Amino acid sequence: MGRDRFAKQSLGYLYPRIKQSRTLMVGAGGIGCELLKNLVLTGFGEIHIVDLDTIDLSNLNRQFLFRQEHIKKSKALVAKESAAKFNPHIKLEAHHANIKDPQFNIEWFQSFGLVFNALDNLDARRHVNKMCLAANVALIESGTTGFNGQVQPIIKGKTECYDCSTKEVPKSFPVCTIRSTPSQPIHCIVWAKSYLFTEMFGTSEDETPEFDHSEDSENAKEIENLRQESQALNSIRQSMGSDDFARKVFDKVFKDDINRLRSMEDMWKTRKQPNALDFDRISKGASGTKPYVAQQDQKAWTVAETFTVFCDSLRRLSARLQTSQAQSGADTAAPVLIFDKDDEDTLDFVAASANLRSIIFGIESKSKFDIKQMAGNIIPAIATTNAMTASLCVMQAFKVMRGDINKAKMVFLERSAARVINSDTLKPPNPNCNVCGVMSSALIVDPNRATLNDLVEDVLKTQLGYGDEFSINNEVGTLYDPDLDDNLSKKFSDLGVKADSFLTIIDDDEESPRVNLSLTILEKSLPGDTKAVQLPGKLDIARKPKDVPAPTSNGDTNGHVKAESIGLKRKRSLDEHENGVQQDHKRGKIQMPSKAMGSQVDDLVIEDDSNDGAIVIDD
Amino acid sequence: MAEKATTPPILQGPTAKEKKYDRQLRLWAASGQAALENAKVLFLNSNSGVVGVETLKNLILPGVGSFTIVDETKVSELDLGVNFFLEESSLGRWRAEETCKFLQELNPEVKINALRESIDAFADDPNRLEQYSLVLLIGPTRNARVLERICQHADKSSIPLFYIHCQGFFSQFSLQLPAQFPIVDTHPDPASTQDLRLLNPWPELLELLEKKTGNLGSLSDHDHGHVPYVLILLHFLNVWKASHDGQAPANYSEKKQFKALVESGARTNNSEGGEENFDEAAAAVLKSLNTPSISSGLREVFESDDCQNLKSTSANFWVIANGIQKFHTSHNGILPLPGALPDMKAQSSDYIQLQNIYKAKARSDLAAVTQTIRSSEQEVGRKSSIEQAEIEAFCKGAQFVKLIHGRPIRVAKCSAEIDWSDRAKALSQEIQDPDSLLPIYFAFLALDRYQDDIDRIQKLRKPTDDQQFNDIMAGRVVSGAVPPLPTFAESAHFSTPAVDPEHDPKPWPRFDIPEARETFDNVVKELDRADWGELHNIAALTGGMVAQEVIKVITKQYVPVNNTCVLDGIASKTAVFKI
Ligand SMILES: [Zn+2]
Repeated sequence: MGRDRFAKQSLGYLYPRIKQSRTLMVGAGGIGCELLKNLVLTGFGEIHIVDLDTIDLSNLNRQFLFRQEHIKKSKALVAKESAAKFNPHIKLEAHHANIKDPQFNIEWFQSFGLVFNALDNLDARRHVNKMCLAANVALIESGTTGFNGQVQPIIKGKTECYDCSTKEVPKSFPVCTIRSTPSQPIHCIVWAKSYLFTEMFGTSEDETPEFDHSEDSENAKEIENLRQESQALNSIRQSMGSDDFARKVFDKVFKDDINRLRSMEDMWKTRKQPNALDFDRISKGASGTKPYVAQQDQKAWTVAETFTVFCDSLRRLSARLQTSQAQSGADTAAPVLIFDKDDEDTLDFVAASANLRSIIFGIESKSKFDIKQMAGNIIPAIATTNAMTASLCVMQAFKVMRGDINKAKMVFLERSAARVINSDTLKPPNPNCNVCGVMSSALIVDPNRATLNDLVEDVLKTQLGYGDEFSINNEVGTLYDPDLDDNLSKKFSDLGVKADSFLTIIDDDEESPRVNLSLTILEKSLPGDTKAVQLPGKLDIARKPKDVPAPTSNGDTNGHVKAESIGLKRKRSLDEHENGVQQDHKRGKIQMPSKAMGSQVDDLVIEDDSNDGAIVIDD
Repeated sequence: MAEKATTPPILQGPTAKEKKYDRQLRLWAASGQAALENAKVLFLNSNSGVVGVETLKNLILPGVGSFTIVDETKVSELDLGVNFFLEESSLGRWRAEETCKFLQELNPEVKINALRESIDAFADDPNRLEQYSLVLLIGPTRNARVLERICQHADKSSIPLFYIHCQGFFSQFSLQLPAQFPIVDTHPDPASTQDLRLLNPWPELLELLEKKTGNLGSLSDHDHGHVPYVLILLHFLNVWKASHDGQAPANYSEKKQFKALVESGARTNNSEGGEENFDEAAAAVLKSLNTPSISSGLREVFESDDCQNLKSTSANFWVIANGIQKFHTSHNGILPLPGALPDMKAQSSDYIQLQNIYKAKARSDLAAVTQTIRSSEQEVGRKSSIEQAEIEAFCKGAQFVKLIHGRPIRVAKCSAEIDWSDRAKALSQEIQDPDSLLPIYFAFLALDRYQDDIDRIQKLRKPTDDQQFNDIMAGRVVSGAVPPLPTFAESAHFSTPAVDPEHDPKPWPRFDIPEARETFDNVVKELDRADWGELHNIAALTGGMVAQEVIKVITKQYVPVNNTCVLDGIASKTAVFKI
């Protein structure tokens, strides 16, 4: 009587397939820990775990593979060790690395039968989505917020991809975006709250959930600069209470640091350069402004008003911290201030600092009222939601592995006591999606001589027949369009277009534009007498369908599910159901496992009608 | 502003514990966390029980106070295949102790006990349950008597009990809550909690109205575009009433006319062609002009005996409910004002003024309720007085309080039918729905009944040795006249006679609906196939669902499932039934 008897009995013909599978799990956090346990106990044969994060104290209320003694260690490695102890028969591999690293290329993704996304940030989710589409591997995407959870199976060409519908703005941001290259008000607010406030009044080594460190390795040099910047700021903190404290802080963060950033020319090639502020000049202009302007929280303050609130709130907070320090005994921990959106002093400081930074980077200022809402948001996370979401991921994986794509579902968890779990039929791909509604191809590039112009002239215009109105884009931004031809003479390598990265060609033809073309760079030395940029084969690019809206942004939202958005989404998809994946109202008695999934046909009947939950399994 | 400069409160950084629990404190706050840390959970296991272990995992991580595992079994190879909290070295040792050992690693702050004994002891001794605050019981129990007795003991001591089944792709759990289980903090959607009390304005509000809209027509464009929408609505209500016998718009069509009246007040000779504050006012017409009414949940609270007749022993909940009911009666059917004001287009100073007026009114309503409560406390001779904060929380969420009436767990016996009494009609209606998941619940009941039957036959036969017992269990014919045991599938088939619930109070539900019958048979077949085994993934999902409900019950926050939840793990579907 083997230990897998029950799994064998209940899973039937699927069980050997599960045992032989090679599975990738991206993210070993809240959902990841639960998922790994479930995969191991379901008998998945080989599991690879990728996570860049290290373990933090605030993870321990739910990420159960980690303990106190694991704090600051790699999530991927500790998760592997904890799970391996349990079942030595399963092959586990851990990578303490960024999933965006070049080693995890398309070929590597292709080596898996199934990929699970258990991530906490939009950027990495999008990346894995794109890689799975390129590698044609099924992806089970998942996420949670508080009591809400969501699971979405993604299969190329058959279902919506992660980017087919609009995603909300992420709540965590790459460190460099916050510290060096902000472009939105929220970036400045997070900077003021999680960096400046914490460095000035809090415990500076605090880990903040808003910081996404997944891109740190790509920007090692700038990260080191930023570390030094923090240290310098910390030494200014020692002069708290002195008459020129405000000036010192101001000059450091709104002048010197900005000038250092400004000097890094590479950073501002595609961005607007920041302009440092001058303490004396603003101070003079603000002489008539009174600090109680801070009470006007519905309007965006002027520069002078912002400056006045900054100085005044800095004074108030300094006084508070120093009073606490004076009163605290020698044997207690050093007092600190923590940001609380309902604490006016802290909110004033964050609002004023954020807006000064916005002025520097040419970003719109926000009212204190708005900033309170944006700064106060932290995503709650609990064990129960993660446990349920991870199990639902595995249940959807069963359907995908059986080839029952029509029965796979988008599944939602809700707090409601009336239903607990909701599901929705998967929608077909959005033809206007910029990620999957595209033609994909490799692009063979000779790295020694290929220029952007070779792509534009030889391939796009001559070979593929593009007109003049199109643009070439990558993750960083637009590389070429009719009004941006400075890059044409540059080599791919000089533009940062590396092997295994993507270029998207967007056709702006007025009459009948082509669908987007996604090119994956393949580097290869080509004979000198041939073109430096080539397509591997003939390409026939379809035209965009008319009257289908592209995903549009709906503004100030986040990458995780929200109850309201689920409600809306459900409603909409019910209305649009007739264009959706056909729902089987009649029971198909025999479900043949799909050939595409590489399965042999079994003499087994599975009746799995999700409309009534009835099943028959005979074997 | 000047008072801002006074000595601020001392703030320490958050403690390590607060940091560890930070992400959950945002959902149930310090009060919920304290309740969780005081809870003592008892887990009674007489099966593989992975669903219970997974539930415990989800309670230990957020810091439940203590738990006790009762289990008389030793770890087998099969356990290792489904239970994450055991390892190779656990084989042959006591399962309760081994599981506790590994669960303890999850959170050193939780107190953990293992009792290696049969759960029957808890059926025999009613007092043994008393030290616990919540019971998790895994089904089927050895026989119906064990289940029935434990449920009765829990009910008598008002201890919430969860009865859980998990086999193969299916699972089910039922909650037995105390007869009265009130929840004050139901966490309603913030947007639904707004009460602007526009139909019953008070002097301070009217005074501001006069000041700001007395000469609306002659305001500058800037000022006109910044009149808070609350005041716009009040202003036009007066206009409307003047031409409608002093009555506010009452029905939908009148509200539509009223909305048009409000819209006609906006100035359109500007670049936007309208005014944002007037747009806000028009948008708020339908939801802000309802005549005050109370939710059915609150009405039920007001009408119950406990609210009407206070005693010195009445729970705080009833004393406060009584106070609010008196307020409601003496204030023409309005509830204490929650006091929150939505965001709106306005000049800051006006907004703050309006906010202060609402806050002050909420405070004075609270004071009135508190006064009533203080005199009731004296009247009935209560020893201690209820804290103001508790009264305030009730006043703010009065419209959303919920009183759940706990229902007993249904016990399926081989010797008697279940008395469905007041639920017979509703359940036989539910089963008419061909998509209903209710047959899954009935399949688990059939399983309980089958187990009870086996226990009975086993006792009758008094097998002389293990070999004979194994033969009986395996359905092999043993010497003697007694026929072999039916399989579960056969047993379940025979245990579902079609009796009309309308006329007979104690039938199994009718299965003359072919779809329901088919679902039932299929589930029975699958449970039979699963052979009492759990699938880890389904146990994990169910453990997540159960733990979520346990946390709601322990914290008395959010509304728990009432009272039975069924999972179809093949279709990824759940359903909740009142059984
Ligand atoms: Zn897409």
